[in-house]
Formats: sequence, C-alpha cells, structure tokens
Amino acid sequence: MKLNNNWQRMFGEQQRFMLKLIAPAVTVLILFQAVPIFIGGTASFLDWMLYNPKKTWVGFANYASVLTDPAFLKIVLPNTFIFMFASVTISLVVGMALAVVLNRPFRGEKLAKTILLLPLMVAPVIAAIMVRWMFNDQFGIVNVVLEALGGEAQPWLVQRWSAFSVIVLTDVWLWTPWFTLLLLAGLQSLPKEPFEAAAIDGTTAWRVFRYLTLPMLRPVIIVCVVIRAIDAFRTFDTVWALTGGGPARETELFSIYAYENAFVFLNFGKGSAAAIIGALLILVLGLVFYRILDRVRKVS
Amino acid sequence: MNTLQRRFFDSFAPGARRISFALTLSVVCFLFAFPILWLILTSFRPQSGVYYVYKGLDFTLSNFGQVLANGRLVHAFINSAIVATVATVFSILVTVSSGYMLSRFRGPIASGWFGVIYALRTVPFVTWVLPLYFVEQRYGLYDTYAGLLLPHIAVHICFFSWLMKGFFDGIDPSMEQAALIDGCTRWGAFLRVAVPSAIPAIAALSVLSWLFSWNEFLFALILTGQHIPIITVVMTQFVSEMGMQWNLMAATAVLALVPAFLLTLFGQKYVIRGLKI
Repeated sequence: MKLNNNWQRMFGEQQRFMLKLIAPAVTVLILFQAVPIFIGGTASFLDWMLYNPKKTWVGFANYASVLTDPAFLKIVLPNTFIFMFASVTISLVVGMALAVVLNRPFRGEKLAKTILLLPLMVAPVIAAIMVRWMFNDQFGIVNVVLEALGGEAQPWLVQRWSAFSVIVLTDVWLWTPWFTLLLLAGLQSLPKEPFEAAAIDGTTAWRVFRYLTLPMLRPVIIVCVVIRAIDAFRTFDTVWALTGGGPARETELFSIYAYENAFVFLNFGKGSAAAIIGALLILVLGLVFYRILDRVRKVS
Repeated sequence: MNTLQRRFFDSFAPGARRISFALTLSVVCFLFAFPILWLILTSFRPQSGVYYVYKGLDFTLSNFGQVLANGRLVHAFINSAIVATVATVFSILVTVSSGYMLSRFRGPIASGWFGVIYALRTVPFVTWVLPLYFVEQRYGLYDTYAGLLLPHIAVHICFFSWLMKGFFDGIDPSMEQAALIDGCTRWGAFLRVAVPSAIPAIAALSVLSWLFSWNEFLFALILTGQHIPIITVVMTQFVSEMGMQWNLMAATAVLALVPAFLLTLFGQKYVIRGLKI
C-alpha cells in the first residue's frame, strides 16, 4: 500500500525477498507443526496401540469410537465449551472494568497496576498448585474461612461442579490481567475529544461507557476475545495440575481427553482421532472468528 | 448520577465517593494478590506449622534449603532457564523478519502466509505435540534441548509474527524507502533501518517469549524425560511424590516465580508500551 512504485516494478525480485524473509519460519513450522499434524492425521486411521508395534488400517473406527464414547459426548465436549465461554466472558467483563478504572489517574495507580497485572507472570501450573492448596478440603484457607464464618467445609475438588468452578476461577484469575493490559492500551489510544464533549454535556459515566467507550473499543475487544477463546479451547496445564481431570474424569477438557487416551491408555489411534476432532471443531470456530476479524479490520 | 447530583452529594459527604472507590479497588487488589501472598507465607512455614499456616509465628528458611539441596530440582531450574533463553533468542530472530514481511508487503504470498500462521495458531497443541513425540523419538530429538526448543519457536512464530506486524505497521516506511533510493539493498534497509526502530517492540516480545517458555508445561511433559527435567513438569510430579508437604511445594513454586517476577518488574514498561494491537 504505502510502497514505492519502484518497489512494485521489480516484482520477481521482491517476491524472492519476501520468501527469504519468511524462509526460516516456514522451515520450523513445516518440520514441527505441519509434519506432526500429517502424521497425527494418518495415525487417527490406524489401530495403533503403544504396546503393540503392529499398526493396521481401520478407517474411521477410531473416530466412531470417540464420537460414540459417552464420556466424550456428555462430559468432555460440554466441559470444553462451557469452560471456554465462562472463562472468556468473566475475564472480559472483569478485565474491562479494571481497564476503565486504571485509565484515569489516581493516587497509588502504579501500585494497583502492578498488583493487578501480577497473575500475568504466574505459570498456569503454579497457579493450579496454589489454588489446589487453598481449596484443600482439610487445611485449605478457603474452608478455614468458611468455617469461621459459620459455613460448612466443602470437599471442593472432589465434586464435579465445584471442581469445575474452581478451575474456571483459576483461569479467570490467570487471564483477566491479559484483558486489562490490552484493553488499557486500547483505551489510551482512543481520541480525547468525544470524551471531553461528553463531559461538558454532563453525560453520566455509564452512558459515556455504553455509547462512546464500548463502540470505539470494539475492534480491540474482538481481537482479545478471539485470541483468548482459541487458547481457552485447548487449555491443558491448569486442569492437569489442579484436578488431573478428576473426580473420576469429570472435569476433563478435550486436550486432556486426547492426551489420556494416547499416553495413559496407550491407544494412540484413538487419542489422535480425538485430537483431530478437536482441531476440526476449533478450525470451524476459527473461520467464523476470522470472518469477524476481517470485517472489523475493514471497518476500522 | 449526573454532574449536578454528584456535586450535591459531595457537598454532604466530601470524599465519600473517593473513599468507596479506594475501598473497592483495595479489596479487588487484595483478592488478586492473595493467592500469591498465601503461597509465599506457606513457603516460610515449618513442616509442623503448615497445616495451620494462619496460626503461630514460626518462620523458617529451611524449606528453601531443602528444595535447593534436591539435585533434580536444581537441574530442572537450570534447564528451564536455558530453554527459555535460547528459545527467546531464536524466536525473535525468526519472527522479526516474518513480521516485517507481513507488514510491508501485500499480495498472495503475504496474505497466504498470514492465513497459514492464523490456521496453525488455532490448531490445539495436543493435536501436533502428540505425534511430534514419535517424530522426535525417530530422529533422536526426544529428551534433548533442540527437541524442546524448536516446538517453542514454532509456537512463538505464529503469535509473535502477528504482534510484530502490528509494530512495523506503526513505523513509517519512508525511512526505508529513502535508504533504498540512496543505494541501500533491501536487506540493508531491513537490518539497518527497520530493525533498529523496532527495538522497543523486540524488547517487549523478548519479555513475553521468555515468560511463555519458562511457564510452558505441555511440551515439556510430552517431549522430555529423564535427561532434561523441566521445572513445571517436575513440580507437578512433586505434588504426588511429596504427598502433603505443602511447605516444600510452596517453596519450589516461589523459587520458580522469582525469575518471572524480576523479569516482569524490569520489562513491564516495555510490554505496556509495546503491546498495542
């Protein structure tokens, strides 16, 4: 677009330069992503048990076995989508609120910013271990406080929905700062004039947010949600270190299901089929997201 | 509440709004910081006090001593640092040129590359890391530094090329064009004009890249074994091995947080300045 006409006249030379710029990246991606995806795709059609060197072609049998597995249909799939939706929605709302608050100057602003961005540096595994200790049924601080307030101690991590809520809570804690950071950057790059005009008119804070901030920030919000939703879909570490998919595999997400089939039950064919099904699901979602992103890019 | 009402209330209770604002924000900050504070407190408690962390005032450094006396843990810390650092250097080298290409050029190659990056970024990690295990076994890469580093770089390419493109979009290309007219080669214009002006962005990405690699878990779980223990994996194994020794667990976790914390502290301003989509 901004390119000189001279550049465009030397088209062949330019294309060669473009390819050279991406050559190292392309090599790494082919060897370490494209080739494995291809091998995984092939493996999903094989009867490939890790303790048995014989691999036989079984067509769609692995896919059929995943798609008829009640654990996959009734637990893993709903878990994955509920997790994605809940985690992204809650962190977006909280992150947005914090970004709006941090956007105006106040005393102690720097300290508040540092504290609120703290979880960004914490590994999901560490966060999970931390939360596991806090929600420990005997000695965890949560139950101690609950009992002190006259409540009853709960075995948080051994009941399906309480364990699931704790996982979502951990994820929200981990990723809210990420929304705050990006939305704050977005807020600070908005033009000042409309807000000054609204202040002169005496518009209420809520109306300013609803009719000025939100529409102007929409492109940034959408990019954040798309990136985060794709990442939330494949969450592995948090659940693995927090509940290990338990109690009785009831908090498993799709990544854990694929991993367990391949490396715990040693059925690599079925694990691969589950992994491919997950990839196809997110690919469809990703295409929808891509359309939305593209539209936003054209409008702004 | 409009401005008039607000002034009306303020005349009765001056500062009431400011106090409630400060109070709410303090509570929120406390809730955000609490898990980390609790972890730190647990890490300084003796074994006997750990089940009643909130009672008593015995504090000790012996947990950290015990953790650092464990050879496998120390080995894991060093390995994680090596992997994170080398992965960061190579990721930056590879993504700067790829992001530059996405930002400065149009046409089928550029849009095709963008599509590939986007598609590969959506692919869940399990989908390609499970079979990667067999590829690495076959070519002797399993449980080696290279075998763990290269997948890290692959992940960073997809995300950081996108961010890097954004940075270069914000830099006016006229300087590079001037350099070209003065007889500079394309590579010269890229390396001597564009790259130096992208230093703040490179700093921001280096911080993020190091943190991502330091905190990464799934690749290390699948692609490493006895030779290259990685801290995140060793830690989860300890939860079961150490049983209920939460004081040791907490001390390990705190030690793993320290490098990330220092890096965030020094790198925060670059990240905040550099992270604009």
